[in-house]
Amino acid sequence: MPSKKQLTVFLILSLILGVAAGLAGAQDPVRIRWYVGLGAGTDAPLVAAQEEVVADFNESQDAIELVLEIVDNEQAYDVLSTQIAAGNAPDIVGPMGIRGRASFPGAWLDLTSLIEANDYDLSDFDPALIDFYRVEGEGQLGIPFAVFPSFLMYNIDLFDEAGIPYPPSAYGETYTDWEGVEQEWNIDTLAEVAKILSVDINGNDATMEEFDTGNIVQFGFGNQFTDVRGRATLFGAANFVDAEGNAVIPDIWREAEHWYHNAMWSDYFIPNAVYSGSEIMGGGSANWFDTGNMGMITIHLWFLGWGTANLDADWDFAPVPSNNGVATAKLHADTFGVMNSSENPDEAFTVLTYLLGERAADLTSLYGGMPARLSLQGDFIERTAAAQSEVYPNVDWANLNWDVVLAGLQHPDNPNHEEGMPSFLEASARYNEYGQLVDNNGDEDVDAALDALRDDLQAIFDADM
Amino acid sequence: MTDSKGKNLTEYEIRRRRRNLLLQASVTLFALAILAVYLMPMAYGVVTSLKSKAQTSDPGAPVWPAEALSFEYEGEGYDILQVPTENGIRHWALVKKGRRASQFIDPANPAGGLIDWEGNWRQLEPVREFAVQWDNYPRAWNTIDFARLLANTLLYAFVTMVGTVISSACAAYGFARFNFPFKNLLFMVMIGTIVLPPAVTLVPKYAFFINVLDWGGTWLPLIVPAMFGNAYNIFLLRQYFLTIPREMEEAAQIDGAGRVRTFVAVILPQAVPALTAVSLFHFFFAWNDFFEPLIYLAGNREANPITVGLTEFNGLYSSETQLILAAAVIAMIPPLAIFFLAQRVFIQGIVVTGVDK
Amino acid sequence: MDMFTEFGAARGQARWSIRAALRLAGAQREEAKWGLLFIGPWLIGFALFYLAPMIVSFLFSLYDFTLTAPDDAVFVGIDNWRRMLADDPKTWETLFVTFKFALISLPIGMVSAFLLAVLLNSQHLMGRNIMRTLFYAPTMVPLIAAILIWSRVLNPQTGWLNQMIQVTGIQAVGMDGLRWLDDPSLIYIAYTFIGLWGIGNAILINLASLQGVPTELYEAASIDGAGWLRQLWSVTVPMVTPVIFYNLVLSTVGLLQYFIVPYVLNDGNGYPEGSTNFYMIYFYKQAFPFQNMGYGATLAWFMFIIGLAITIFLFWSGRFWVYYAGESRS
Repeated sequence: MPSKKQLTVFLILSLILGVAAGLAGAQDPVRIRWYVGLGAGTDAPLVAAQEEVVADFNESQDAIELVLEIVDNEQAYDVLSTQIAAGNAPDIVGPMGIRGRASFPGAWLDLTSLIEANDYDLSDFDPALIDFYRVEGEGQLGIPFAVFPSFLMYNIDLFDEAGIPYPPSAYGETYTDWEGVEQEWNIDTLAEVAKILSVDINGNDATMEEFDTGNIVQFGFGNQFTDVRGRATLFGAANFVDAEGNAVIPDIWREAEHWYHNAMWSDYFIPNAVYSGSEIMGGGSANWFDTGNMGMITIHLWFLGWGTANLDADWDFAPVPSNNGVATAKLHADTFGVMNSSENPDEAFTVLTYLLGERAADLTSLYGGMPARLSLQGDFIERTAAAQSEVYPNVDWANLNWDVVLAGLQHPDNPNHEEGMPSFLEASARYNEYGQLVDNNGDEDVDAALDALRDDLQAIFDADM
Repeated sequence: MTDSKGKNLTEYEIRRRRRNLLLQASVTLFALAILAVYLMPMAYGVVTSLKSKAQTSDPGAPVWPAEALSFEYEGEGYDILQVPTENGIRHWALVKKGRRASQFIDPANPAGGLIDWEGNWRQLEPVREFAVQWDNYPRAWNTIDFARLLANTLLYAFVTMVGTVISSACAAYGFARFNFPFKNLLFMVMIGTIVLPPAVTLVPKYAFFINVLDWGGTWLPLIVPAMFGNAYNIFLLRQYFLTIPREMEEAAQIDGAGRVRTFVAVILPQAVPALTAVSLFHFFFAWNDFFEPLIYLAGNREANPITVGLTEFNGLYSSETQLILAAAVIAMIPPLAIFFLAQRVFIQGIVVTGVDK
Repeated sequence: MDMFTEFGAARGQARWSIRAALRLAGAQREEAKWGLLFIGPWLIGFALFYLAPMIVSFLFSLYDFTLTAPDDAVFVGIDNWRRMLADDPKTWETLFVTFKFALISLPIGMVSAFLLAVLLNSQHLMGRNIMRTLFYAPTMVPLIAAILIWSRVLNPQTGWLNQMIQVTGIQAVGMDGLRWLDDPSLIYIAYTFIGLWGIGNAILINLASLQGVPTELYEAASIDGAGWLRQLWSVTVPMVTPVIFYNLVLSTVGLLQYFIVPYVLNDGNGYPEGSTNFYMIYFYKQAFPFQNMGYGATLAWFMFIIGLAITIFLFWSGRFWVYYAGESRS
């Protein structure tokens, strides 16, 4: 028999739920969905700023309702893929780099006809950059939006604490070390500096006998927020696919992987998997530099601002070290793509031109990118410094070594470290697995792991045929 | 020695009672110890959700919510450390760090200028103060847009709860009271669906809902199938219906009531406890549902339920442990509250059938 | 009576029912009509959402089929099956991972549920009802919330678990300590911990079954001089074998589909070192992100076949160790 208590529970439950059921809405104008996640834009402070852009756009007209969708970068590829499969794809995707574009071959709309129909003026872009987005067999997949050169960032306070000189301030300059000896600013020199900046809990550094590798509290160097291809590019540009479409491990990358493995597991000046997810390196966020426990990182322009939001230390830019006399500063070039499944490509193009035109200035500085529009490049540094100062006053933006950032554009990686591969998502998943394996195991045989990687990639490429 | 009724107790009796008491105490203590370990993560979740961001990532910080003290000197904040000196431990702010020697300032006497100290500052402990960040809760609530997630989840849970309970009750009644061809075979098949991996039916269902019906990004693929009942609920309700005496239905039928009327007017009112249990089961199931919303809603954030919203939040704000845990605590309050209110009905439901979802 | 006992009984009667069905008449036919009407909604749902998809799923497994381009689907015969069984090492790797985890997690989960039920059934326990409620509470915590909390509790440095272990003198905190979620040799134990928060239902069913054990049996054993442990082993355990069996079947089927924990903790990327590449994760990746729907359907069917084989094996083995009180055996 139902007791009073049971009935009461049942009733309360129904009541709560009934009220909730009343909370449902509806709306009408053409909906354009803007998907953010394949590149910059997913970090918390940017979310609000992008929402503002969306609100501005929606207020400026009635025909289109722009909706923002932000998915965490790690999940963004799977989610977009599932959305495409579900016939629920967004209209506009971006900002995204080459990796984003290459991950979804055939999914992008050729903008050529829309550019012509709208008489869209492309004269404000470097023609070479426009060609960058023209993919054979697929068409003009994007209009240039922003470039993100990479550079070295170093924590001035940590150099001071260690009492050693700062890295050079321009490409080609030498490094005068703590003994007054001039050194080429190459990977070996970087390693020496990084060792001194790697410190254990007792204050011993990685050059010392007493260095306690089980209790490191500060690291010297790291390639932050990148993968195996990204970090190997420090040694030189290459790819896992050769001209014939076969899987290869380029020699220069094999050398790089040995160097990284040693740095993580013998010298301990780069965080291995054990340390990289640890609390002293920022835990799940893996934002090493922001913790103040990281001496130097390589990173891209999009990192600026939000990337150092919690960092209570001075820092500056420096050139990426060279290898065999050549410095390679890997490059990200972003755009927005329109998905070819969009039911309203015209409206999507309207939004696209809004983002790439009227809002290009504030959006590029928001993402920390250098605008692709030539007319906006002139005062790019001043504008970025001003915009960043407003949101992140903890950094003296105007007095940073911006020249070295711009100089990085002269050292791009070609082929790009995000270049396409057959079965892109599967192949990426496989080489990430390789990365997990060697970064998590000190005694792993790097050569054997790389050979296994090559064989598996070959199998994945073959299955794609 | 006497007991409360004043009777003399034999020595044996006393010893037996003592032994019992001892046994009782040790068993209970043992259970409490296990319980403490078992529930520890909950306590951890609540405590950590009240900490500052800085504290959550500081391995040396105490377990309770606390904040490291700092001292402002010439416009900059510096951490106050416990510095051993000739005059005992002093609380000084660390201004200039060095590997072998550092410079401090005494907050009690900033005019005294920088004090040189020989030694390694990394070996010094910071000075901390108890501080609870209640603010984390409203922040988590707003950042994750909890109101919308909650409305979505409740709407989904409620609609499917009503639908599945009604259809399950019908089917349960059919299995409990009627004879029809292949009844036992069908009953067996029904139970069998419980061990069928959902993955087997997932791909065609997905293709059908998405490609044929164009239901991508909507709740329909989740709601519609639930309207046809489900094996757990049918089984539980059938078991309950079997315990209801047939005489009551027969009396109703003599009064001229039809089958449907008998079911609605006689059986259902008798079965309120079981119906409540089934409703609660379904409610908790829906509250927990993750995989299907993940796939069918496919990033349609507007429609996300709490579970999917929480995982997204976890990804986007991975460095804000305290906010993520605050969100997790908020998400577990409603089911826990309902459970504590209705635990008798609920536990009874599980025990009756030996079934859970 | 639990679900599987009913299942067995129904199985016994099914054969009879088929024959009886053929000779219906009059009032019986009326009753049958109403019965079918009442189970109608479920029957339609079953046909639409179980039976038909199962058949279609099998057909899909014979096609190279991408959902975004359904028109390009190509009939490939048993190619998907051959790829899965012979050419794709991932099939066996992920199955191996799944079984390895099941072999660790299943016994721990089942023994814990049983022992906790024994504890909660003890007459010496004070505040039994409150205790039962509290032990059940974690089961009510939504799994996602539980995972988010556990992932932090298991943090090697700031997590409370390691800090608690550290107190006992074992080196747990820090880099050389216990890295639950990063160490392939600890990861299954860590996932098992998370799983232990969901054993509330198993505890309750065990508890109900324990209460059904006739006290005479204990008295008899006690007179024979059996101690507590011996009573537990030779009286309690046999009497609750039906519940153990029931939990075993459901847990096995559930573990074969293990997905949410690794998906939420690391997006299903297998971290650390592929040790969390569970079969279901692999299925999901193939079917959804990689959009190989045909191959996904093949993987799903294989999972079904394996699950079915295990279930049949368990039911068969149950004849030898599951003790049903009041059931005569021949």
